[in-house]
Amino acid sequence: MAAISLEGLFKSYGATPVVRGLSLEVREGELVSLLGPSGCGKTTTLRMLAGLEHPDTGVIRIGGEMVAGPGVRVPPERRGLGMVFQGYAVWPHRSVEENVAYPLTLRHMSKTEVAAKVREALRWVRLEALATRRPHELSGGQLQRVALARALVASPRVLLLDEPLSNLDAALREELRAELAALRARLGTTLVFVTHDQGEALALSDRIAVMNQGVLEQVDAPETLYREPATPFVAGFVGGANVLTGEVREGAFHTARSGTVFQLSADTSAPPGPATLVVRPEDLALGEQGTPLPLSARLFLGHAAEYRFPVDGTLLRVVAPPLEVRPGQTLKVQLRKARLFSVG
Amino acid sequence: MSPLARWLGLFAWLVPLVLFAVGPVVLLLARGAGAPGTLGWDWLVSEAGALGNTLAISGGAAVLALVLGTPLSLLLFRTDLPLRGAFTVLFTLPSAIPAFIWGMGWLSLASPRAGYLNRLLGEGTLDIHGPVGIAFVEGLSGLPLVLLAGAAALRRVDPALEEAARVCGASPARALLTTTVPLVLPSLLSGAVMVFLMAASSFGVPYLLGVSASPPTRVLTTRIYELVLLGDEGLGRASALALALLLLTPLSLLATWALGRSGRVRLSTGKGLASRPLSLGRARTGATVGVASTCALLVLLPLAAILLTSLQRSFGARLAWEELTLAHWSGVLLEPRTLRATGLSLLLATGAGALVCGLGLAAALLQRAFRRLGAGVEAVAVWPYAVPGTVLALALLLAFSRDWRFILVDKVAFVLALAHTPWLLLIAYAAKYLALGTRNSAEALAQLDPSLTEAARISGAGPLRAFVDVPLPLLRPALTVAFILAFLSCATEITMSVLLVPAGSEVLGKLLFDLQSYADPAAAAVLACAFVALVVLGQAVLALVARRAAEAR
Ligand SMILES: Nc1ncnc2c1ncn2[C@@H]1O[C@H](COP(=O)(O)OP(=O)(O)OP(=O)(O)O)[C@@H](O)[C@H]1O
Ligand SMILES: [Mg+2]
Repeated sequence: MAAISLEGLFKSYGATPVVRGLSLEVREGELVSLLGPSGCGKTTTLRMLAGLEHPDTGVIRIGGEMVAGPGVRVPPERRGLGMVFQGYAVWPHRSVEENVAYPLTLRHMSKTEVAAKVREALRWVRLEALATRRPHELSGGQLQRVALARALVASPRVLLLDEPLSNLDAALREELRAELAALRARLGTTLVFVTHDQGEALALSDRIAVMNQGVLEQVDAPETLYREPATPFVAGFVGGANVLTGEVREGAFHTARSGTVFQLSADTSAPPGPATLVVRPEDLALGEQGTPLPLSARLFLGHAAEYRFPVDGTLLRVVAPPLEVRPGQTLKVQLRKARLFSVG
Repeated sequence: MSPLARWLGLFAWLVPLVLFAVGPVVLLLARGAGAPGTLGWDWLVSEAGALGNTLAISGGAAVLALVLGTPLSLLLFRTDLPLRGAFTVLFTLPSAIPAFIWGMGWLSLASPRAGYLNRLLGEGTLDIHGPVGIAFVEGLSGLPLVLLAGAAALRRVDPALEEAARVCGASPARALLTTTVPLVLPSLLSGAVMVFLMAASSFGVPYLLGVSASPPTRVLTTRIYELVLLGDEGLGRASALALALLLLTPLSLLATWALGRSGRVRLSTGKGLASRPLSLGRARTGATVGVASTCALLVLLPLAAILLTSLQRSFGARLAWEELTLAHWSGVLLEPRTLRATGLSLLLATGAGALVCGLGLAAALLQRAFRRLGAGVEAVAVWPYAVPGTVLALALLLAFSRDWRFILVDKVAFVLALAHTPWLLLIAYAAKYLALGTRNSAEALAQLDPSLTEAARISGAGPLRAFVDVPLPLLRPALTVAFILAFLSCATEITMSVLLVPAGSEVLGKLLFDLQSYADPAAAAVLACAFVALVVLGQAVLALVARRAAEAR
């Protein structure tokens, strides 16, 4: 139950900058997801929060107390956190219950108290039956749940989760998400949740922080993020939007390489000049009017179909009702709703 | 680890190493390099014979190990030879048991008059004394080095290469000879270079089979020993010879490194490429008989000869049941001298084993904490292993022949008076076998996920508590292995023990050496049997540890 604040964090490994000027406020009891592609610095940020790495510059506060900053370096064991590591880090020489009990034994609790809390934590993650197993006798998903139980058994004020549900099947993931939400409601724990699954982030988070190459692109509530992406990257990553670079001229968008022209609808405000076009697959239509493009593939999705057209070296994706067409045919593609980001 | 703690740790680790290993050897080298100046070059020329013998004998040993080791490693590790697991265990014994004991075995078998083989073949047929005999025994005791190098290389050869040759129309044997053999040859050669180095460093065997030969065969190590016995005037010359001997090490390691490089380029880097063992077909029976008889002749026969010697009333007596006696066994094993030697040896081996584990683990941790400097830490830790025991012992003898006085603060001085104490032996053992601790811990540590320790920190454990709770138990199998290996090596060590045991004390290695050289071959044989039993027991424990570790994974 503590607010977190990250101010201007920089971190590089050798000459490679990994986190560049990251600032983020997490309110008490809030669940914030760190979302971004592989290698963008999510784990590194989490490790700095945990005290496993020290930022090159910047300040970290947990519950108002400075834990990392100029001349301050509070070691991980005194930050009062729970953490699930990306690789689980379940101790192979301890049984499931011994793993989960460890944080409690360090807090000098009585045996009966420890046993009760361990049992409760194992119930949360549905592992009561496997309490005496050794880690090498568990599946990946079960290990992940041991790590989760170990992280939350001591009711930490902040819980850091590095892709804690990535190895679970859909049903179990759904169930644990619900458990996590209930747990949060009960304990009021602040949660920082790393994921690269945008669906998970959208479903679970109070706010989502989208990272790209060590920089925070946008921090907002899921709906805002989806409706009003602040940058082309966020639009592409969160909404799965098509992103094209080019130029706005005479009410139309001209792509940079092939000069393909898309007519902009009247309500799209766009000053002329170099720009990035962002458009969701659902916001493109196939019909009588629009830009003629050769179809390269058609994927049946059930309720609709996805059509792919090669444009400027990438594939423009369009989601529309299923039509009887085959690859090679030329179809007309029209922008219904698009966002334009001026470049420069 | 915080930067300050790292540097303090490095300093604390380096002090004993510099003081007790690097420093003494550097002093010895300096002294050796100055020797030709004071003693004149003529004298050096007069020692050329010893150098020549060392080179010739070690070269011969390396060639023998290579010639025997190449077909053996192919048969053991690449074919469906029956019982190859058991053969492999037996063929690694020669390195586990001190070479001196193999020398004793062959002396029992092939000393000109009383040797058991000569009694069968006619007196004087075989003579194990002299350069050929020494090279023979050294080559056999180095055989496992070639076999292990071959096994490691064969595991890395991509079976697809051999299959490709088969598809091109080569017979299995031809495919083996034209693809696999050339690929593993660099590794086998580097194994042979290690045999060369081991033979050049060896003291016990050339002493046993060379000094009493006629004419005597002198090598560098035995000359150093003789010169040390002369007392102060010999020490300068001994240092010069030690320098010559020590120069062989970097040269050989360079050769190994070069071979390893040329070998690695063509080997696949992937691990555990399981290939189907080559079927021996009709040659199976012949191969089995060949390997079994080689094993019986080279491994079992010398050990049996020692056992027989220990049971004979006197060596050279008539061979008959009624001539056998257990008198030597009860005599030797119950003698106070043996008991004292056993006590001190076990104490020293335990102490040295603990030091090897502690300092080795520290070296591995420092290696990890300092990225670039880590290689230097490893070099310091592993390097004494390559220094011949004679040289290391001589260096310690010289460096601590006088007392060292360290004045810390005004009045607090502490004196390091180690001359003529068992402490020098402890230092020598620990320094020499530190590599075992370092290598084993470094390998185990490399497989340890750092986030396991981090998870303990997050759970609320301080750095020390986290280390004790997580990495330490996980490293325990590796440390156990290091301890057993170091313990066995120290308890059966002969070369340094002979030079460093203080008057009035006794350790097992020195006792064995004395009994064999001056007194009583039968009593020595009893002790040798005890050594073999200890080694076999240790190896069994090691196998058990390995099995347990594999099961826990
Ligand atoms: N100890 C390290 N030394 C050097 N580079 C590192 C180290 N740890 C991470 N990096 C680099 O920093 C970058 C960010 O790594 P990080 O683990 O934070 O990514 P991530 O966002 O968690 O990715 P993923 O989703 O794949 O887990 C990567 O390019 C990685 O290669
Ligand atoms: Mg990560």
